Order: sequence, then structure tokens, then C-alpha cells
Amino acid sequence: MENVIEFRGISKKFKEFSIENLDLQIKRGYITGFIGANGAGKSTIIKLMMNLLQADKGEVKVFGMDYFSHAKEIKERIGFVYDRNVFYEALSLKDISRIVAPAYKCWNNKQFKAYVDKFELPLNKPIKKFSKGMQMKASLAIALSHDAELIIMDEPTAGLDPAFRRELLDIFQEVMVDERRTIFFSTHITSDLDRIADYIVLIEKGEVLFNKPIYELKERYAIVKGSTNLLDRDTEESFIKIERSSTGFQALTNNVEEVKELFGDHVVMEEASLEEIMFYVKGAHSQHD
Amino acid sequence: MFNLIKKDLIILKVQLLLFIPFIVFFAVFATHLSPAFIFLLASIFIPINAYIYDEQAETNILLNSLPYTRQEIVAARYIGAIAYMILSIGVAGIILYLCNYGYTIRDIVIAVGLFFVFSALSFPLFYILKPGYIGLAVFVSFIVLAVVLPPIVQFLAENLTTITNFLTNLSAFTLYLSGATIAIGLYLLSWIFSRTIYLRKDF
Repeated sequence: MENVIEFRGISKKFKEFSIENLDLQIKRGYITGFIGANGAGKSTIIKLMMNLLQADKGEVKVFGMDYFSHAKEIKERIGFVYDRNVFYEALSLKDISRIVAPAYKCWNNKQFKAYVDKFELPLNKPIKKFSKGMQMKASLAIALSHDAELIIMDEPTAGLDPAFRRELLDIFQEVMVDERRTIFFSTHITSDLDRIADYIVLIEKGEVLFNKPIYELKERYAIVKGSTNLLDRDTEESFIKIERSSTGFQALTNNVEEVKELFGDHVVMEEASLEEIMFYVKGAHSQHD
Repeated sequence: MFNLIKKDLIILKVQLLLFIPFIVFFAVFATHLSPAFIFLLASIFIPINAYIYDEQAETNILLNSLPYTRQEIVAARYIGAIAYMILSIGVAGIILYLCNYGYTIRDIVIAVGLFFVFSALSFPLFYILKPGYIGLAVFVSFIVLAVVLPPIVQFLAENLTTITNFLTNLSAFTLYLSGATIAIGLYLLSWIFSRTIYLRKDF
């Protein structure tokens, strides 16, 4: 399978935070959700992908090319959405499209107009008078109007109301009908990803904890419920975290097969949500440190 | 790159409307000023305003996310500034002529020379200093220079006769030629300097 983004041995030092020897591969043709706590390094990694930050060491490749000699070709094929407005606030969407459109060889004004209509965006109102959701939609309309193959988004759903978040996820799915396309987006609302992501990358303190297909996570992890008398020192080993109550226990496992073998029909298994997985994997990781 | 230069006209729509009254104001009320000074103000009006405008917004993130190279972004600034300087001096020349404000080609030549020197010194500030302070720094230093420089030149002219003798002994042609070489040389150095800084920058 082809990688659309590839980080090899990336190091980047800041005063309070650093990334060391990071490897990361993002697969072409899928939606990859990028999760991690605030300050885990999500925005830094996105900026490295966009060449807004330059690594101290290592190699960033996008579409198999490096920024050193192919910056324009790469950016031509990327649509970007950031967590805050980067367009001129005082300008209207029409003026902004006048600035952005000529930068792209494949700008499609018809497509842009179609998105503007679809999102019900005013063309002549200054961006600073847009609500957060409208600014987001405006960025998205621009990102989707030049036939980009890779859409990189930093927290696109942050600060949006649930109804619009749903709408947005539907738009992502529509975009993905074109098989060449890849969406990479960071979020801390993991329920967004349960619905649409194919791959999940979890980072913590600048380190990739896992980068896996979502189905694999769902196969490996499960919530197990049963009677407390099933638990003893040996059986507890199969679980990452156990909660006991008067009616029974509830626990997370990362080894569904073993639990099935051990308890058979005596326990009930439920799909674990990404949030639960993320929480426990992070906990387990910091215990190892 | 032409698009990057054209971008300044879109972002400065409002400021451009002020440009003509700005020159007319000087032509009508500032009759004791040297015409060279008015030409200088006119020539730096658009480039400096574009810089000030751009550093307020998250322009670096925007431009660097679009298919432009960092070299192009800096080049557009330095080439665009010359283009806007030529245009602005043309417009200012017409306005001053219409307002019967006398000037000579010499005034324009001096203004262009000073434009290069002033731009060469101020543009790199936008790449070195933190955003938010640069516009103010440039504005203040421009006013200070405009107030302080003439008396200093006067003082030098009166007291350092060897220098003035040397300068007056040069033919007008040599004087202008060496002035132009220095001004343009500074501008090119400034461009290389800004480019070096911008290439390494993190946004």
C-alpha cells in the first residue's frame, strides 16, 4: 500500500517540547484520524507536513517527494484547513478567492461556487464577521476547490455545534468517493472518528503510540462485563483496567481472543469506543515509562 | 509570483483609496517640503502598508500553505516594491503637476535613491522582528530620520569641508552613478539577507 505522507527519523526541538526520531506513514486513499491530548504535538506534526516548520533532522516526504525540491508540486495537491482563520479577516470570501485561486493551476471556480452555495456562505461579508462554523466552511470550500488529493486539517471540528459536525463528516465521506483522495485530520473529539476514520494515529508527547486501522483496534479491544467471582489473580491479567461494582465488573481488554477462551459465555463483550481505548493505552504507556 | 504582487492591490483596497488624497494633502498644505520627500513618501506607501497589513494577519501561514516557494514570497516583496514605487511616483508626479507643485527630475531621482536605501533597511525588519511591533518601529524610525537627518547632513556639510569638497568636485554624472550603485547594491544585499532569514523560518 502506498504512503501519501512519510516521516523518517524526524527530530524537532522547541524550548518546552520536542519530537525525537519520529516515524509516521499515512496511507493513500483513506481517512486517517489523528488523536492525542492538547499539547501532544498534533499541530506541530501538521506544520511539519505542510513545511511550515522544518525538521532539525530526518526526512518528510509527501506524495513521495521532498519539500526541498518539490515544494510547489506538493502544495498544489494539498488542501488545508487550520484550527483558526488564516485568511485576511477584513476581506470578503470573494476577495480571498481572488487571492487564492490564481495560486493553484487546477482551481475550479464552478466547484468553489457550488460549495459556497451548499454551505450558504455570504461572498461579500468580511471573514471576521463569520461565525466559527462559517469560517471553517469557508476554509473547507477553498480546500476542496482545486482538486486536491490530500486534505490536511487541524481540528476542523473544534468549536462546531454537533449538527454541523455531522454535516461535516458527511462532506468528508462525499469527498472520499474519489479514490485518489486522502484525508488526514486531527481532532480531540474521538466520536467523530468512530464514524468515518479508516486509520487512527494516536500520539502522546511527540511520540506515536499507535497507527492502526480502526477495525483492528475494534477487534483487539473490547469492554467485558461479568460477575465479580470470575476474577482472580490469573484472569485479571487479561484486562487493562477493571472496575468493580456490587452487580459485577466491567473491564477493558486488548486481547479479545484470550478473554473468549477464558470466560466463554460467562461474560458479555461490547465494542470499546475510541475514547476508552485512547484513555487506557495512554495510561498503560505512561506506566511503562 | 505576479499573483503575489497583485495580491497587495486586493488587500490594500481601502488604503489605495487614501493614496490620492494623501498626496493631494501634501501638495496643497506642505508647500515648504522638498518635493523629493513627497515622492519618497508616495513610493514607500504601498510596499510598507502591504508589509504592515500582512504581519497583522496569519499571512505567512496562508502563503506558505499555498503553492508558493519561500524564495518567491520574498522575491514578490522586493520586485513588487519596485513596481509599486514606479507606479506611485508616476501618479504622485501627475497629482503634483495638476496641483502646480513645482518639482524637477532631480527630486524624483533623489526620492528613488532614498526609496532603495529606506526599503533596504526596513524590509528585513519584517523578517527579523516579532510581528506587531515592526510597523510601529518603521513608522517611528522614519519620522525620526526625517526630522534628524537633514540637520545632521547640514552639520556635516558645514563642518566637514573635505567631504563636501570631494563631493562637489565630482561630476554630477559620477555622483548620481555612484549613488545609484550604492542604493541598488544595498537593496540587493537586503533582499539576499531577508531571503536567508525567511528560508529558515518556522511558522
